[in-house]
Amino acid sequence: MLVLVGLLIRQVAMAQFVSVPADSGRVLSAVTVRAIASERFLAGQKLQRIDSATLLQFRFGALTDLLAFNSPLAFRNYGPGQLATVSFRGTSANHTAVLWNGININQPNLGQTDFSTLPVAGFDRLAVQYGSSASVVGSDAVGGSVLLSSGPDWRSGLGISLGQQLASFQNNQTQLGLRYGTPTGRAWQLSGKTLAYRSQLNNQYPYAERRNYFVEQSRTGQRGFIQDVYLRHRNGRQVSVNTWLTDNDLVVTPQDTIARERTRTQSARLLATYEANRTTLRLGWIRDRFDYAKGNVSTPSRTRTDRLLGRAEREFRLWPSRAGLLTDLRIGGEWSHYRTYTDGYGGQLITENRQDLYALLRMQATRWLVSATIRQAFVTRFNPPLTPSLGAEHQIIRHNLLTLTAKASAGRSYRVPTLNERYWAGLGNPDLRPENGLNLETGLSLTATLTDQLRMTADVTAYRNRIDDWSYWNPDYGYRVENLQLVVARGAELTTSLSYDHNRWRAGIRAGYALTRSAQQRAYSTYAQDVIDKQLPYVPIHTGTINAYVGRGSARLTVQTQATSRRYITFDESQSFDGVSLTNVLLESTVRIGPASIRVQGQANNIFDALLFSVKRNALPGRNFSINLLINSSFVSHD
Amino acid sequence: MTNQLTNVLAASLLAVGLWSCNTTEPTPSPYETGAYILNSGNFTDNNGSITFLARNGTNPATDIFNAANARTLTGGLQDYTEIDGKGIILVDNSTAGQDKVEIVEIGTFKSLTTLKAPDVENPRFVVRAGLNKAYITCWGATGSGANFFASPGYVLVVNLASRTVSKKITLPKGANRITVVGSEAFVGSDGGDRALTVINTETDELKQPGIDVGVNTNPIDVDANGRLWAYVQETNEMVRVNTASKVVDKRLRVGGSPKTPGSFALSQDKKTFYFVNSFYDASDNYRQKGETYRFGIDDASIPATSPFIGRLFSGLGVDPQTGIIYAGVTPSYKQAGYVIRYQPGGALIDSVRAEIGPSRFFFR
Repeated sequence: MLVLVGLLIRQVAMAQFVSVPADSGRVLSAVTVRAIASERFLAGQKLQRIDSATLLQFRFGALTDLLAFNSPLAFRNYGPGQLATVSFRGTSANHTAVLWNGININQPNLGQTDFSTLPVAGFDRLAVQYGSSASVVGSDAVGGSVLLSSGPDWRSGLGISLGQQLASFQNNQTQLGLRYGTPTGRAWQLSGKTLAYRSQLNNQYPYAERRNYFVEQSRTGQRGFIQDVYLRHRNGRQVSVNTWLTDNDLVVTPQDTIARERTRTQSARLLATYEANRTTLRLGWIRDRFDYAKGNVSTPSRTRTDRLLGRAEREFRLWPSRAGLLTDLRIGGEWSHYRTYTDGYGGQLITENRQDLYALLRMQATRWLVSATIRQAFVTRFNPPLTPSLGAEHQIIRHNLLTLTAKASAGRSYRVPTLNERYWAGLGNPDLRPENGLNLETGLSLTATLTDQLRMTADVTAYRNRIDDWSYWNPDYGYRVENLQLVVARGAELTTSLSYDHNRWRAGIRAGYALTRSAQQRAYSTYAQDVIDKQLPYVPIHTGTINAYVGRGSARLTVQTQATSRRYITFDESQSFDGVSLTNVLLESTVRIGPASIRVQGQANNIFDALLFSVKRNALPGRNFSINLLINSSFVSHD
Repeated sequence: MTNQLTNVLAASLLAVGLWSCNTTEPTPSPYETGAYILNSGNFTDNNGSITFLARNGTNPATDIFNAANARTLTGGLQDYTEIDGKGIILVDNSTAGQDKVEIVEIGTFKSLTTLKAPDVENPRFVVRAGLNKAYITCWGATGSGANFFASPGYVLVVNLASRTVSKKITLPKGANRITVVGSEAFVGSDGGDRALTVINTETDELKQPGIDVGVNTNPIDVDANGRLWAYVQETNEMVRVNTASKVVDKRLRVGGSPKTPGSFALSQDKKTFYFVNSFYDASDNYRQKGETYRFGIDDASIPATSPFIGRLFSGLGVDPQTGIIYAGVTPSYKQAGYVIRYQPGGALIDSVRAEIGPSRFFFR
């Protein structure tokens, strides 16, 4: 896949916005360690990097769709352009940390992310970290983490990019961006990116129902702005500022002025980073606004939360003279201050502080990689547990054509209760304890070069994640939040890929299967007996994905399929949605006209017209189409 | 190699196609005499359903509409009645414009027709108003907060022979429970109106004026003496109405403050009302608490101090053939509830697992 991207890059010259390879060698300079900690200090755990060809294919999509077709993450989807929350390895929406450039951007009132508000155009790189990583990431990283990041392109020049999508149901999107790089003086180099995007989902379906199920009327307008600036000194020091503004405006039943419901979600995220040698300093500010109104949309119920955060880290190379063993120790501290005005809490200002101290150790030998990490968080009126973790990887077979690596890890995790869980008037519970978990996993991963043209990878992982004091809006107790449940999630993941590359032909298939059993184990009331050992709602036991492609030159045909087994919608397995599968077909090609490269992607979604349901039991749209156009042009190049 | 890949692609597409075709064939089965348990479902899950339970059975048939029609009701189950061989199901979806009235063949539950928006918006209660004629009260579109009852209420007049809407009778806001006595329908309100509105069921016209009883009065049932009983929220009273003279001839305050009564059910002999008296306990995180009481139609007061059954229920029903009391239990709206059956005297018979939120009952 990287080969393809390499070709694309050559073809498109420097103006590429998104095809920066997810090649860590590019990011890691000899003296400056820039990789996000979760990608380096979690030995023994599964990390899935989404390749840039896939990011490009989903350039006009939501993060939800990309992950659903490329990972076993299960989404609770309320409808097109509506709320989408995740279940990672059988955990709840509160148990996935979403990191943007290393910072947790879960909305703090809800403690989760609405994945429909995060378009793929909003970041340059994407990785999925499986399993608990509390010692490295902090709160929320219980089932796993989704890692979004931006990165510089140090080539000099100016590139302009214009993207336009036209889709069924009068839906459309526009993206306009610049990427620029230039030396500034003898020692400094500047790289920057500016991107503005908008999308309008009008969802003007030509039908009101599909097979007797309503298709819900809704409209979503999305706008976003990204500004990244990186300044790098010859000696490795780097200053960067990343900005991401998002604005998501959803109206359900817009035609009904009495009953329409409007949800407006706005976020401003600003991060300044200074890196020198082995020291990293970060300062961040995140503002999340959330307005909900029914009928008269001018008087919404409001949520306003600000977060200020600072983080300082230093990494040490221990025993540098020792041959054959690289030992790195990173120690760090983080401080964040939360301020929230929320109508549901009574509207008064509520503040809290959180501090974290952590130490991360990584030892790498020829065949071994070991990490040992520990974190202690301190939260106003809370006492989160100490969370250590230990992981190891061993290359059992290390051959030019074949590598086989065994992995294992164990780690504790925790989740600080959300602001809603503690402060919501009447229902919140200030006496909640942090949840705490223990994640164990083990796996094997294989890479093999079968012939000069044919390569394969395979990866199998098994895990068990036990989460105690799982908090729960207890319907048996007026929906008050209580630390009631003990959930054990266990399962296995298998991914395999085969790729063929010969002359100008390329083909490949990537398949993933996950088995997820996640159930409540503790009876806390008479009727809770009925939910013990039952699969948690909206968590399919079986999920599968298949991505297959064949291409020649820049032309490529891709078939994407995702399938899930039955999803229960109640805690006692008494009601469910049937298993379903969804298949999309994509055809893409890039042509050059003068200084511009024009990438055209035609897409047929849900080609079998399968009937899928939203959480609200509305039919999701049937077969639909889109045309994506991405024009990249480089005006100046000093290369 | 390309061929192999084509095969792999074709095989996976085929596999996907087969998975997509995995639907179950309905096996229609007649539902004879017994109890229909109306399960409200959870609000935004839109998963209300009807459970059928034979009188002597303990093994209920769940979601019988889905079983007969291979599709679910897609909303909260609001009310059900049978009129001249047809069953009328009121379905309240959490999204405006998606409410429905399903008209089914009784016994098989096969759908005959479906009425939808704009005729149907927030349907509340259905009664028989003559041969092949249904009256369905509706709130219309609702807003939020103080503007919840944003639209006038109405009664949808449905001709069940042609299965069409023949008229919409505009009513005060929050038109709610409805009871027919003779050739008159008495309609209550949840929207702040003081009157029991009276409709002539022969002409489908309003009779002016209605009966001024108190804010938010709702008719409950007609007793052994042919008198209509109604509950007045404003005064927390049960009132008895002489439907001929349109005069309120008895007012009984329901005791047990801060509790309010609900889930009324009339006994087999129509001389005793059962009800659940409940409240949300502010000192205990608004947990709903309460018990089940009863009073006789000739009682001089309703003290509601010593419970008939010391339990809170989400619904009550009395089988008119046997007098057995059916009581719904809702542990939460995210797991199946139970129906507990009691002898008319209050002795426990059995407990049967139903579906989400068993809250009303229909017997045939």
